[in-house]
Amino acid sequence: MSSINLTLKIWRQHNSDALGNLETYDLDDVHTDMSFLEMLDILNEKLTKEGKEPVAFDHDCREGICGMCGAVIDGIAHGPEKEVTLCQLHMRNFSNGDTIVIEPFRSRAFPVKKDLLVDRSALDRIIQSGGYVSVNTGGTPDGNSLPIPSSNAELAMDAAACIGCGACVASCPNGAAMLFTSAKISQLALLPQGQAEKKQRALSMVAQMDEEGFGNCTNAKECEAVCPKGISIRNIARLNREYLFAALTEG
Amino acid sequence: MWFVRFLSSSIGKKLIMATTGLLLLLFLCTHVAGNATIYMSSKVFQSYADELHSHPLIVIVFSTIFLFIFLAHIGMGLFLFYQNWQVSKSRYSVTTRVVKNTFSSETMPYTGLIILTFLIVHIFSFTFSSSEVPISVTVKELLGGFFYGLFYIVSFIALAFHLNHGFWSMLQTFGLNHPRYNDAISKLTLILPLFFLILFAGIPLYFMTGLGASY
Amino acid sequence: MELNSRVPSGPLADKWNNHRFSNKLVNPANRRKYKVIVVGTGLAGASASATLAEQGYEVQTFCIQDSPRRAHSIAAQGGINAAKNYQNDGDSVHRLFYDTIKGGDFRAREANVYRLAEVSNEIIDQCVAQGVPFAREYGGTLANRSFGGAQVSRTFYARGQTGQQLLLGAYSALSRQIHAGNVKMFNRREMMDVVLVDGKARGITVRDVMTGEIESYYADVVILATGGYGNAYFLSTNAMASNVTAAWRAHKKGAGFANPSFVQIHPTCIPVHGDYQSKLTLMSESLRNDGRVWVPKKSDDKRPASQIPEEDRDYYLENKYPSFGNLVPRDVASRNAKEQCDEGKGVGNTGLAVYLDFADAIKRDGEETILKKYGNLFQMYEKITDSNPVEEPMLIYPAVHYTMGGLWVDYDLMTTIPGLFAIGECNFSDHGANRLGASALMQGLADGYFIIATSVANYLGTNSLDKVTGTEAPFKDSKQEVEERLDKLMQNSTGGPADKLTVDEVHKELGRLLWDHCGMAREEKSLEKALEELPEIKKKFWDSVYIPGIGKDLNQSLERAGRVADFLEFAEIMIRDALARKESCGCHLREESQTEEHEAKRDDENYTHVSVWEHISDEDPPQMHKEELEFEFVTPSQRSYK
Repeated sequence: MSSINLTLKIWRQHNSDALGNLETYDLDDVHTDMSFLEMLDILNEKLTKEGKEPVAFDHDCREGICGMCGAVIDGIAHGPEKEVTLCQLHMRNFSNGDTIVIEPFRSRAFPVKKDLLVDRSALDRIIQSGGYVSVNTGGTPDGNSLPIPSSNAELAMDAAACIGCGACVASCPNGAAMLFTSAKISQLALLPQGQAEKKQRALSMVAQMDEEGFGNCTNAKECEAVCPKGISIRNIARLNREYLFAALTEG
Repeated sequence: MWFVRFLSSSIGKKLIMATTGLLLLLFLCTHVAGNATIYMSSKVFQSYADELHSHPLIVIVFSTIFLFIFLAHIGMGLFLFYQNWQVSKSRYSVTTRVVKNTFSSETMPYTGLIILTFLIVHIFSFTFSSSEVPISVTVKELLGGFFYGLFYIVSFIALAFHLNHGFWSMLQTFGLNHPRYNDAISKLTLILPLFFLILFAGIPLYFMTGLGASY
Repeated sequence: MELNSRVPSGPLADKWNNHRFSNKLVNPANRRKYKVIVVGTGLAGASASATLAEQGYEVQTFCIQDSPRRAHSIAAQGGINAAKNYQNDGDSVHRLFYDTIKGGDFRAREANVYRLAEVSNEIIDQCVAQGVPFAREYGGTLANRSFGGAQVSRTFYARGQTGQQLLLGAYSALSRQIHAGNVKMFNRREMMDVVLVDGKARGITVRDVMTGEIESYYADVVILATGGYGNAYFLSTNAMASNVTAAWRAHKKGAGFANPSFVQIHPTCIPVHGDYQSKLTLMSESLRNDGRVWVPKKSDDKRPASQIPEEDRDYYLENKYPSFGNLVPRDVASRNAKEQCDEGKGVGNTGLAVYLDFADAIKRDGEETILKKYGNLFQMYEKITDSNPVEEPMLIYPAVHYTMGGLWVDYDLMTTIPGLFAIGECNFSDHGANRLGASALMQGLADGYFIIATSVANYLGTNSLDKVTGTEAPFKDSKQEVEERLDKLMQNSTGGPADKLTVDEVHKELGRLLWDHCGMAREEKSLEKALEELPEIKKKFWDSVYIPGIGKDLNQSLERAGRVADFLEFAEIMIRDALARKESCGCHLREESQTEEHEAKRDDENYTHVSVWEHISDEDPPQMHKEELEFEFVTPSQRSYK
C-alpha cells in the first residue's frame, strides 16, 4: 500500500440558482487502495474539521450497481478506468502530484442541485412514459409458458444491465439520452412479453426523452465508451429501428 | 400530424439526415460513373454530356429533386449543428474524448460546409457555364489550373472524411448494427470514401499532372 | 404489549387460502377513497406500491434516494428461490417451507414461512411477465442453480444481478402507476416519524433532504418497507443510506421490535483494508464451491502465501467438517474464520482475513474453466484489491450482511400499531435466526406483490377510520418533535469544529463496539461491557459531534447524524436482546451455549420464542415480551454439518 498527494479541483455550487466555480483543495496521504468516493470522504472529514462545508455528492451502494454516484473526472464520466462507476474507481489509477478536476454530470436535463449532486429525475420520467410491460400483479401465465431463446434472454440482459447513472448523457457531446432510452426499449423489444406495446413504447419514450431537453444523437459513441455496464450502441440502432417502424405503422 | 411529429423528433431529424444522405450517396454514384468517362477520352465524356443534356426534362426534374434533397440535408445538418452547439458550449472545464479516431465525426459540420462551398463553385463553373464552349474543354481548362484543381482535391478529401463517418452513421440511424455485418461495414467506411476520393480527385490530378494532356 | 400473531387455524396448507376467504375486502369503487403511504422503494416497497395502486388505492410512495430505482435490493447478486420444481428434482412448496424454517434454525413462525413458500411460484410468473430477463436454457425454459442450505435446484437468476433485475421489474410496475397518476412519488424524503391518531397510524413526518423542510403526510394506512439495520456496525455490505431510523421511530411510537440481535454475517467478503474504508463488498458465496479456505498453522506466520508449504497450512473447514468441507452454511463459515483470526492465524496486513485459495481448482480444472465460472468475480476482486486470485489466494473475511430481526408483525404483516404495516427486511417474519441464500428477494416480493394488499383490505374493511387532514394536533406535535430533535443536533455543533468529533468518527466507534461485543460470537460478560460503554458513546455523540452547515438545506452530515443518533439508541436493544437469549441459534452464537465441538447449541425448552422489545421511555430500560413459537407441522432438530 502506498499513498499519494493530490490537488483536487472540485466544482462547488451552493444551489441550482447560484453560480458555481472550481475550488482547489490539497489532499495528502491518499491511500492508493481507497476508492474515489472514500477519497472524497476523507476530504469531507478534513473540510468538516476545518469548519468548511463538505462537498455534496450522491452515492449509495458503493458497489457499482445502484447508479447513484457519478462525476466527471478530468473530462471523463466515472473517471479513467473502463467499465466502472465512480465508487469502484480506485486511487491507484492516479499518481503522486496529480491534479484532478472533478465536475458534476452536466446536461440541460440534469440541473445541478449542489456541488456534484444533480437532478436526474428526467431519466425516471422517460421510464414512466412507457418503459414497462403493462401487466398487473397476479393472473400472469406460468413462467415457462413462453420459451425465450437463451441468446435473446442474454441480449435482453445485456441491455437490462443499465444502472441509470446518466454517464451516457454526461459524456455525450450533445447531452443525448439515447443509450439510456435504447437500453430499456431493447430489453423489452427482445422479449416476447414486450411485443404487445412495443410501438407505443418506442413512440412515447422518445417523445418524453425529447421533451426533457436531452440532445440529439450524432453517433459519437462516447456513451458506449464510458458506460460502466458496457452497454452497446447496438441498442441505439435497435431503438432507431423500433422507432422508425412504430412511427410509420402505428395508428 | 403524425408525419411532422415523427420528423421533428430527435430520431426523426436523424432519419432525415440519413435518408437524404443515402440519396446523395446514390447521386454521387451516378455522378462518378459519368465523370469516370473523362479517363476514357474527351469524346466519350462529351458524348455522355451531350446525351444527358438532350433530355432537358429529365435534367430539370432530377436537378430540382436533388436541390431539395441537398437543401434538406444541409438545412437539417446546420440546424442540428446549432442545437448541439447550444448544448455543448462551455459545458466542462476539462473535456476528454474517450473514443479514439473521432476526427471525422467531430468535423462533420465543417466538412459539410466545405462540400457546400465546393458545390456552389462547381455548379457555377460547370452547370451554368457558357454553352458555346464544349463541356469537355471547360473541364480540362478549369481543372488543369493549380488553385482550382487544388480546391477540388481539398473538397474531395473533405467529402471522404464526411463519408467516413456519414456512411456508418447512416446505417446506425437506419438501425443496421449487427455483429455479423459490422466488420464488413467498418471496412466499407474506408473503402467507400477512398473510392470516391480516387475517382473524383483523380480528375484534377489527371489534368494538373499533365497525364490528361492528350485528352 | 399484546402480541397476537393472528395465525389462521386449520391445516398448514389451507391457512392462507382460508385467511384470504375470511378476510374483509374493499369494494373496487371504494378503494380510491383510501390513501396508503408506502415508505421505501426496494423490492417490497415498490411492489407493494404498484400492486395497491393497480387495485385502486391512492398511494403515496417515499424514498430516500434520488430515484426509486436505487434502493439497496438492487445489489442482491445470487437469485430468488421458488418451489416451481422445473428441474423435477423433488422440490415442492413443503420442501421450500421446510428448508427455510430449518435454515432459520426453527425460530420463525410456521404459518408465515409456509405462505412464503406458497406464493413463491407466483412471484416468478409475475416477474417473467414484466420482462425480467431471467437466465434461460437453450430450449428457452427458465434456468435454475442450486444454493446453500438446499439439495434441490430452485434458484432463478439473472446473471449475478438478480436483485437488480427484480427491482427494476418492480420499479417499472411502479413507474407505470406513477404515470397513470395512481402513485404520487416523493423522492429524496427521509422518514423521521410516524404519526398516530387515536392509536392508529395515520401519517408520517418526513424531511425533504434537498431543502431540509419538514413535511407531514396523512393516509389511512402506513406501510414501512425501509430495509435492515446492518449499518449499525458502520461497516457492512449495506448501502450507505440504509438505516434503522424509520423502524426505530415506529418502535418509539409503540411498535414492537423483534429479535434485534439476529444479524447475518456473510463469510466471503473482501476484508477491511484501512480506517478510511466506508463499506464492505460481498464476494458471492458460490466461490466456496472451488476455493479452499486456509490459514497458516502457526500463529503470526508472516510469510507470503506462496512461501508457506503445504504442511504448514491448516485447511480448517475441511478438517473440522469433513462431509461439508468448505461448503458449510454461512454462520458456521463465518464463526470459524473469526476463531482462526482470534488465535492469531489471520493473514493480510491487518491479520483479519483468511485465504480462499483456487490453486488446486486451477490445477485440477485448468485456468480457463475456473475463469469461466468466476471470471467476473475475480475481476471485481482484482479491481478492488489489485491482486489477481489466479496468482495468489484471495483474502476474505466475514461482514455484516442482512438483519433477520425487525419490526414485529402478525400474520397480516401489521405491527403492534394498528394501521402500521412492515414488509421486506424491515420486518422480522420469515427468516428466523438465519436467512438462506436467495430467500430475501423472495420475501420482499411475496410481501409486496401478494400479501400486503389482502392485509390492507382487511384492515380497512374491519376498521372505521375518522377523516384526517394532516393538520390535527398529532401531526403538528410530530413535526415539532422532529424539528426540535434536528435543532438539538445542530445546536450541539455551535462553536465551530475545534475539539469536536465528526459523525463518522462516532459511528465508527459504535460500529467497533457492536462488532467486538455483539458480532459473530457473543458472551455474557462482553455484552454487559458493551451495554456499559454504550451510554458513553451516546454522550460523546450528543456533546461533541460537529455538523457543518444549516438544518434547512441539503446537509448530508446532518442526515448521517440523525441516523447515527438512532443507531445509538437502537444498539441498546440489540445488545440486550443478545444478552437475553442465552442459547445459540442460527447466526446468534452465545459462547456459553456450544456443543463440545464448538457448535451452536439451541435451547428449545427455554427459547422457542420471538423476543419482542417494547419502548417504555428514554429513561427507562426497554421491556421484553415473548411470542411463543409453536411447531405443529415440523419437529425442530439440531443442525449438523459434520
